Amino acid sequence: MSTPVLEIRNLKTYFASDRGEVRAVDGVSLHVDAGETLGVVGESGSGKSVTSLSVMRLIASPPGRYADGEILFEGRDILKLDKAAMRDLRGNRLSMIFQEPMTSLNPVFTVGAQIAEAIMLHQHLPRPAAFARAIDMLRLVNIPAPERRAHEFPHQLSGGMRQRVMIAMALSCNPKLLIADEPTTALDVTIQAQILDLMRRLRAELGMAIMLITHDLGIVAEMCDRVVVMYGGRIVEEADVISLFDNPLHPYSEGLLASIPRIDEDVEQLYAIEGSVPDPADRSEGCAFAPRCRYAFERCRSETPVLSPIADGRKAACFLAGERLTRPAVEQVLS
Amino acid sequence: MLGYVATRSVYALAVVFGVSIAVFFLIRIGGDPSALFLAPEASLEEIVRFRHQMGFDRPILLQYVDFLSRAVRGDFGLSLRYDQPAMQLVLERMPATLALSAAALGISLLISVPLAILAASYRGSLIDRIGLLISLVGQSFPTFWLAIMLILIFSERLHWLPPSGGGSWQNLIMPALALAAYSTAIITRLLRSSMIEVLQSDYIRTARGKGVSNAGIVLKHALRNAAIPTLTVVGLQVGALLGGAVITEEIFAYPGIGRLAIQAIDNRDFTVVQAFVFLTAVLIVGINLTVDLCYGLLDPRLRKR
Repeated sequence: MSTPVLEIRNLKTYFASDRGEVRAVDGVSLHVDAGETLGVVGESGSGKSVTSLSVMRLIASPPGRYADGEILFEGRDILKLDKAAMRDLRGNRLSMIFQEPMTSLNPVFTVGAQIAEAIMLHQHLPRPAAFARAIDMLRLVNIPAPERRAHEFPHQLSGGMRQRVMIAMALSCNPKLLIADEPTTALDVTIQAQILDLMRRLRAELGMAIMLITHDLGIVAEMCDRVVVMYGGRIVEEADVISLFDNPLHPYSEGLLASIPRIDEDVEQLYAIEGSVPDPADRSEGCAFAPRCRYAFERCRSETPVLSPIADGRKAACFLAGERLTRPAVEQVLS
Repeated sequence: MLGYVATRSVYALAVVFGVSIAVFFLIRIGGDPSALFLAPEASLEEIVRFRHQMGFDRPILLQYVDFLSRAVRGDFGLSLRYDQPAMQLVLERMPATLALSAAALGISLLISVPLAILAASYRGSLIDRIGLLISLVGQSFPTFWLAIMLILIFSERLHWLPPSGGGSWQNLIMPALALAAYSTAIITRLLRSSMIEVLQSDYIRTARGKGVSNAGIVLKHALRNAAIPTLTVVGLQVGALLGGAVITEEIFAYPGIGRLAIQAIDNRDFTVVQAFVFLTAVLIVGINLTVDLCYGLLDPRLRKR
């Protein structure tokens, strides 16, 4: 096994609020190996985005703070880096694509200038050379007529084009790790497919690792090698993609998979997990998913299950995970 | 961009045309203008002669066309008091007023822009509170009161600056300060709040994600965006400075167009008042046009119209 590009150990990111401290990320540990794509899935409010922003150290403080843990990027704990060293990493060896392509580009600068800025900052190229490289990057992400497009402003580009620009910007300095936070959520399905294709191609060409934050399990199936499932600021399951889709060990993962509409089945009503994500300010005893879990029993409400190895490469935070590993196929259980 | 300039210029011309109508009818609202120009004891014969001489006995539309054709050539008639062309009188006083307005605008921008940037970047800090205090004070104290306080302190008490008159830079300081207070307050408040809003936007997060330094974020990425809404107010404030100069000039006996206008009103010198109103209106229209064109420079989204 290769050394991980990113290793998060027991990360706790808390936010101060009127109702006390909100534990948005509460003891998350994960790793992303070189060249690998890790999917991070969960509902809104599960702590996925806060985890990714924590890795970039883009959590505003106050109200946020890193209460505990380590984030090792290429072996260095970035939570201990000073601001200048952190700026050297961002957009360089560590970069991120954000959720909202429509608002994530500065409206008053040309897209070429915005890509060139990162290149000038990190590779210390003069402006003309950086701009030429920005045009190359636009070509790399399949933008037609890149020489002309580089001189255009964000409002002159469509949503899909803007997300390509964001990708071009993120990749302009050959990152070792790309964090993509819901990169296709705001786009329509055909554009989604194009962007995912593009990311797959570039991953192969540039050999970077990707941490893909999404709530869309279809994207996970297409893109990822391994998955971590987050719920209530914690990881509830970790597995390779095939095992997870084959036999989800945590009831929450099972519910997420069951919620995917299937083209080969005609159903009256789509499946949905009852209830909603727990209030992150409320921390009572027991498994956070217990109130919504169809399998929950006494122990789940009084004791919090910890994420522990169940099988080779598989971890789950559920008391039933062991017996679920050897049960019959999911469809039978659910029907 | 050219289309944008053309449209804006047509709008500006239309406003000037409207102003010409207002200026023309200004002295006709109260009926026959002869009553305004002549002494109350004038005989009927004198009134008739004056009406004929001034053309007041002709159809009103014809009078307006005549007024407009002379106005576009800068001819507003003779000042009734000084017997000189009215526009020439106003133009002679113009440089002093422009100097005062420019000094006031310079002072407000020099104070408000850095203050707003610092206040927004260090929100809730001491500098932010100082900024809020300055804008509160600047907005709530009337200009004439500030002017009198300045005279009391710097002229009466300290004897540093002359209390009145014009012609030297010392004469400019106090009127400019008094005039600048309100604009400083308005611009600081607006730029601070736009900066705060812009600093929370997605593209600022993107810039941070690229590794841009704090100074780069604030001065390059945020300021240019925050300047767009602020520019409107700066434009309006320039107009307000020109208008506000009327009171300030009077208090400091500063020889600008505002003081001339007040004297002209006192003397019923209506050709001068007309020339003053028309010129001020044209200036303000010109400033608004400049602001509109600056928008296009600052905000690329406005260029393709």
